[in-house]
Amino acid sequence: MTFLNFKSTAIGLVGAAAFAIGLSGPAMAQDTWQPTGPVNFVLHTKPGGGVDVFSRTLAKELEPIINQTIVVVNTPGGGGASQMAKVRAAKPDGLTLGVNTVTHFTGMLTNLRGTFSPDDFEWIALAQEDPIMFFVSKESELNDMKDLVALAKENGGEVNIGGFGPVGSMQNIGMTMLEESAGVKFNWVAFESTPDIIAAVLGGHVDVGVSNLGPALTFFEADRLKGLGVLGEKRLKTLPDMQTFGEQGFEVDTSWIQVRGVFGPKGMPLELQQQIADAIHKAMAADSYQTYARAAGVEDSDYGPEKYAVFVKNLTKVAEAQLAAAGLIAN
Amino acid sequence: MLANLALGFSAFADPMVWGALVFGALVGYLIGAIPGLGPSLGVALLIPFTYGVDPVVSIVGLVALYAAAEYGGAITAVLINSPGTAAAVATAWDGYPLTQQGRAGEALTVSIVSSGVGIFVSTGLLILTAVPLSEFALNFGPGEYFGLALVGLSLVAGLSDGSPIKGMVAMGIGLAMATIGLDVQIGVPRFTGGNYELFEGLPLVPVLLGLYALSEVLFMIEDGASAKIKSAAVGGLTSVPYFALKGLKTVILRSSILGYVIGVIPGAGASIASFVSYAVTKRFSKTPELFGKGSLEGVASSEAANNSAVAGAMAPLLALGIPGSATTAVMIGALMVQGIQPGPLLFTRSPEIPYTVFASLWVGVPVMIFIGLAGARVWAQVANIPRPAIAAIVAGICFVGAYSSETTMFPVHVMTVCGILGYVLRKLGVPLAPIILAMVLGEMMETNFRRALISNKGEWDIFYTSPLTVLLLVIAFLAFALPGIAAMRARKARAATA
Repeated sequence: MTFLNFKSTAIGLVGAAAFAIGLSGPAMAQDTWQPTGPVNFVLHTKPGGGVDVFSRTLAKELEPIINQTIVVVNTPGGGGASQMAKVRAAKPDGLTLGVNTVTHFTGMLTNLRGTFSPDDFEWIALAQEDPIMFFVSKESELNDMKDLVALAKENGGEVNIGGFGPVGSMQNIGMTMLEESAGVKFNWVAFESTPDIIAAVLGGHVDVGVSNLGPALTFFEADRLKGLGVLGEKRLKTLPDMQTFGEQGFEVDTSWIQVRGVFGPKGMPLELQQQIADAIHKAMAADSYQTYARAAGVEDSDYGPEKYAVFVKNLTKVAEAQLAAAGLIAN
Repeated sequence: MLANLALGFSAFADPMVWGALVFGALVGYLIGAIPGLGPSLGVALLIPFTYGVDPVVSIVGLVALYAAAEYGGAITAVLINSPGTAAAVATAWDGYPLTQQGRAGEALTVSIVSSGVGIFVSTGLLILTAVPLSEFALNFGPGEYFGLALVGLSLVAGLSDGSPIKGMVAMGIGLAMATIGLDVQIGVPRFTGGNYELFEGLPLVPVLLGLYALSEVLFMIEDGASAKIKSAAVGGLTSVPYFALKGLKTVILRSSILGYVIGVIPGAGASIASFVSYAVTKRFSKTPELFGKGSLEGVASSEAANNSAVAGAMAPLLALGIPGSATTAVMIGALMVQGIQPGPLLFTRSPEIPYTVFASLWVGVPVMIFIGLAGARVWAQVANIPRPAIAAIVAGICFVGAYSSETTMFPVHVMTVCGILGYVLRKLGVPLAPIILAMVLGEMMETNFRRALISNKGEWDIFYTSPLTVLLLVIAFLAFALPGIAAMRARKARAATA
């Protein structure tokens, strides 16, 4: 208590002194995020998945920057609903933050419609962008998207595409975008984990797999998988030979990418949001985070609250149109 | 290979590696023993501690934790009928009756030794067969997984004592429970009553805690303070006569091999391994009537199998980068933090990692057995704690365990409802085991059944054109039908002699 008092007095004194000298000292002090207690990162997944590793790696680099402990709380259940309920109920003081993916937005449009909406939260920072790609086993006769589309035309849609999540999931929407653009139909086979998808492709149980780069990377390096195309604006830095959908003549909305971002309860001051975003992006520059991110095959993003909120709006609009077109929601 | 193996063992020249091994084993025992905390959570919790630690040291710690946690689940299963993990449920079937008979020490010793031997044998198999067997496991498509789940269900259908009808009822309850939640293929909510907390289905750990542990608490309350078990003193290594262990030799060996093979198949983990091996052991046993009432063979088969599945699950992880269980999936995350990407190139790029895993599994066996036996003396005394105190402790563990599984109140509610359900069912003589098994296998069966039909354009031939699927379906049919046919023959024989 006395120590805390002393500390705040000391900060006050330093601030006053700096102010007296007329430097930008106080402004600098305010610019950094200084949470008043331990920060909770609430996740919608169990320990160990991609989101969990991201959050824990980020938390480790963030702790020394903000001089507070970060507690990673795994709140799986309800397809993200348990986590969103927890974040929505928290005080907007920056001590409770959630980590989100595109699943949050598709969920709020489908099963969680009416329960949660993007307007219930503040979208603080975007950290990772992770485009999805289509791939086949090395033994496959398919070599690019054109082959895939030709095969689908020939077989009347009898091409199996294995991806994460049921119809209406992020990756499934990616497939329907291609269907629209190419004027073909595919057969969606839902899986519950990416390694399962890769195993099914390697074992020949589905024709084509969908995933982000990270989990599939070493299979490319080991020459067991072949890339058909990436749904993104640019090619992947790690696999420069794989063309984008657009390059192969299939125009799709390239903003449809997997993301990992940070959000918080509604009503958080924009200034605080900006400070949190800055601290997160600073932590992401650390060596250990960079090593992890490059191995995971993700791209860094520097979107703060303003850009991320716009991004979320656009993403939701795209998802809504796609889900309506697929007949999954009423328009 | 020998040179690489030597490389693996050479890691143990570093005292830090020994420290990691012992630390991992101790933490693993503890986490495994607490219902609600399982090996996957334990590994995830240890990940932050591995930052900045040498990859070899951290992987040894994580592997030791995984193996010990898979064993730790047996401790509470035997002593208080609260399996710490789903894989220890079969251990509770015989372990707890043994405790009630005052033979807790014997049950614990058998479970520890079987676990240790299980890991030892399966690690040997892992070293020899990791790569070819993992490649073979890729042949498992949706049709094969469906067949495998069916084998598991029909093997266990014959497990329930007494009325087969009641066993069927229990299995029906479990299958019905498995249908709750979002449909995996098209994402439609089923039987959720609009409650989003049920979207991901009934969570397994709270159901397990409620059915087994909380219902046991209700029985303890009903029995009152009078009933007290006196556990026989545990004499460490000598508590189980050598010849008794020698008699279990075949059971342990067979269960280890079975556990390893099932562990290699991605998606079929320690729990399925222990269920199947328990059922197989009962079939081959000379004293099947003892199963469920305190059979050492039952304890040995379940524990040997669920620990061998640890080594089994490592095979596809190390050889292909495809996790064979929930815990190995978490371990991929742990390795990635270290800058190591498990995948088909691991053996060529960083052979020190897989070979250190092999070595640490082997070196870990005596360490685990030693800690386990030393601890058994202490843990067995749990049975001597007065009933009311035990009831209070178990109830506390149930609530904390359920809460910590998702850090929300929802699993606590599920656990409480299942506790009451478990109490009522036991009063009616309905066995609980088929419920849990049907929940685990029901989801696997349904998902893969539908996936098979979807990927085969709705044609049924996928179930009879693959030889592997046909083989599994035939085994499933025989496992289901043979006991019935045998019973009919016996009846006919009796009728003929009469």
